[in-house]
Amino acid sequence: MTTTPLRERTSVDEYVAPQEHARAGRVATSFAGWIGIALLFAFVLELTCRVEDWVTYRAPLLSRYTSINDLMTHDADGMHGRPNARYLKWEMNALGMRGPSATPTPAPGTVRIITVGASETFGLRESPGREYPRQLQDSVNARLARGECGANAPKAFEVLNAGFAGMGLPTIEQDLRLRIQRLAPTIIVVYPTPAQYLQDDVPFAARPDSTARISEPSLVHALRPRTIERVRDQIKQVLPEWLKTRLREIQTRDLLRYAPANWRFTAVPPERLDAYDHHLRVVIGTIHRIGAVPVLATHSNLFMGRQSLDHDAIIAWEKFYPRATGQTIVDFDAAARLATLRVGLDSGVTTVDAAKVLSAAPTAAFGDFVHFSDLGSGHMARVVGDGVLAAARTAGVCDTPTATTSTTDHVR
Amino acid sequence: MLFNSFIFIFAFLPVAYTVFWMLRSTTWRYVWLTLTGYVFYGYWDPRFCLLMAFSTLVSYSAGRGFLRWSDPRRRKLCLVVPIVVDLALLAFFKYANFGLQTTHDVLHLFGADVQVPHLNIVLPIGISFYTFHTITYIVDGYRGVIRPTRNFFEFATYVSLFSQLVAGPIVRFRQIEEDLESIGNHDRRRWLERGLSFFVIGLVEKVLVADSLAAFVDPALAHYASLSTVGAWMAMLGYTFQLYFDFSGYSTMAVGLGYLFGLRIPQNFNSPYKATDPSDFWRRWHISLSSVLRDYLYIPLGGNRNGIAQTYRNLVITMLLGGLWHGASWTFVVWGAYHGLLLSLYRAFSATWDSLSAAFRRAATFVLVVIGWVFFRATDFSMALSLLRKMFSPVRGALVPQPELAALAIGIAAAWAMAGPNAFEMRHEYKWPGRAVLASGFAAALAIIIGLRTSPFLYFQF
Repeated sequence: MTTTPLRERTSVDEYVAPQEHARAGRVATSFAGWIGIALLFAFVLELTCRVEDWVTYRAPLLSRYTSINDLMTHDADGMHGRPNARYLKWEMNALGMRGPSATPTPAPGTVRIITVGASETFGLRESPGREYPRQLQDSVNARLARGECGANAPKAFEVLNAGFAGMGLPTIEQDLRLRIQRLAPTIIVVYPTPAQYLQDDVPFAARPDSTARISEPSLVHALRPRTIERVRDQIKQVLPEWLKTRLREIQTRDLLRYAPANWRFTAVPPERLDAYDHHLRVVIGTIHRIGAVPVLATHSNLFMGRQSLDHDAIIAWEKFYPRATGQTIVDFDAAARLATLRVGLDSGVTTVDAAKVLSAAPTAAFGDFVHFSDLGSGHMARVVGDGVLAAARTAGVCDTPTATTSTTDHVR
Repeated sequence: MLFNSFIFIFAFLPVAYTVFWMLRSTTWRYVWLTLTGYVFYGYWDPRFCLLMAFSTLVSYSAGRGFLRWSDPRRRKLCLVVPIVVDLALLAFFKYANFGLQTTHDVLHLFGADVQVPHLNIVLPIGISFYTFHTITYIVDGYRGVIRPTRNFFEFATYVSLFSQLVAGPIVRFRQIEEDLESIGNHDRRRWLERGLSFFVIGLVEKVLVADSLAAFVDPALAHYASLSTVGAWMAMLGYTFQLYFDFSGYSTMAVGLGYLFGLRIPQNFNSPYKATDPSDFWRRWHISLSSVLRDYLYIPLGGNRNGIAQTYRNLVITMLLGGLWHGASWTFVVWGAYHGLLLSLYRAFSATWDSLSAAFRRAATFVLVVIGWVFFRATDFSMALSLLRKMFSPVRGALVPQPELAALAIGIAAAWAMAGPNAFEMRHEYKWPGRAVLASGFAAALAIIIGLRTSPFLYFQF
């Protein structure tokens, strides 16, 4: 009798039916394929965002600047714009100012004007090159060409934009002393943001960093996905306004829940208004000391002079200054306007009532509660232009025209 | 709401698609598609929905009339009244101010300075398209080409179908009737891949090609007076491809969306810049419109049945009205007349023309079409004539913005439009490499869309 020896099973294949094995293989291939496609999708998405930024703004594919905050630096001069940085439409020149390149000292015959302020001056909502300092330069040069400086006319006016988002009066004052005076300005236009005085603390100057080291953002910044920010912006844009307002209200309410009693300003706080008044006078003193002529502009907002307040916009503004109610912010801005006019009058400084002019402009002049649209910047440039020409006459770099057509709405 | 918007791709479409396939009954699917159509349309301005609902009701009633009455007089009434109502609405919303202004200009020409009012009318988006949908339905019902539907929601679905609602293609009821009738039995997976493929290809055409071209065409033509000869040609070539990829992209997306819901929407573009003569061009460009004009205007006018002179007249009238359909402006009328003239000339000299080399005929047809687009794009005659002067007599001046990138974009667009396949010539069954290409195209288009620069489709204005 012959016996068939038991064969030892050595392979898994012999346990798994061939069909099941093939199916498992297909599933694995399919899984790996879809993972690969997902990775490719993410890569192309990110790459296209970067290529588009390059095509549109000439932003390098591996730019380390990934937000407006990266455009600010901290050095021995305090806090100011970072030289040669650029993020999307915002481009800084070698002097650390938004706008085209400029030499450290003005060209012979050119009158240099420097605008100082916060995000309204820096320009957030306007198209590139349409922020108010740029339009101001075009406006005053056009008026120069029309002979509004008479016989004693400079070759040109040059406007440098030293404004930066969040700059308060003390930081501006420090920047004037430590940095701006080296740039030999003839005229300095101050457009302060009074609402900053409704923050937790009264604004103070950023302490200069004695190491004087301008640190660049790290390489990790360059690899931060730009897609995420785009998606976030897109979601914000497609959400209905009522929902955005509701979310902002909830955010502010949550913050207030943990605030001490009576923390919130429900009326204009006089001590904050006094601080604003004091800081503004200090800035004017510094401008005089560095040998320039100041021009003050009152702060405008979307609500001034309107019959009814835009609820959505005021809630959006309130989110930035949760310590004050929306109405208080509006009231504070109005009180600060009067304070600015008073300071200008007391100091004998040319003051333009931009708030009055902008309050008569259509609401489309604003891109949000305080920032200008291209249209608003145009209005601002015209009204500030009146003040600049007046200041230029004070500085002796411009004569009174033979037949004036000025529509100045300023107090002298 | 635009097909190339974040909200459409990530909110409207997923909801519309998911609910549609969860519903099982034919009627509920009709109701759902009608509802989504009205939401899609009302997103621009809810008031427009009332107009579309009224037009739907009137045309549906006409269809019911054809079913009910065989008496020729009553049937004629069911034909004429709704068409007059539909055309009156179109005339009022689209052409009232044009008519008033023209009357004023003509009277002024004869020395009578009569003040005419300017009516504050908002043109409902896509009114030209859905008016043609309803008119073709009524005429086909009257002719007995189709059997009008008794189901109101089936008809409402046909009129308000969001994929074709605002910029076509002009789908005739008979072209989609079969799919609409069987809407309750569709298999979701059958057309899924094909639908997604068409949609993504259309998105790429619109977002990556047309909008890239628009980035330099629009600013260049906004300052056309400063353009040089090269600049003017670059701007017009850019516009030529922008218009094609914009509209073709929309139509391709519409076809893809149709497939996703189990509806086969016909081809609207067949590589028109490969045309070798004007007649060939119109068989390839906006096919749904040119076939509607042929079947509902040119042939009823007599077509080519009554001699040469009548044929030329019919061609010119058809194209002239086709031009006017595109917009209430004399530049569109001239554009239509120009194409009428080209078609007539081709008819007269076709034997000679056809004996020339294919490459020459294709190039010459393309240049003739580009010249026509000057009138189509120009906001007035002075702009059109200025551009033509610049294109055909050497002048110094500016180029388009970013000329190197513009030349690259024109080159890519030209290669695709004149040598590459159109969406209907592609295979839509993918293995992994094909899926990877499609995913990459979608990702690239999406990156632009989420960059907050969603731009409307050019044909929405018509």
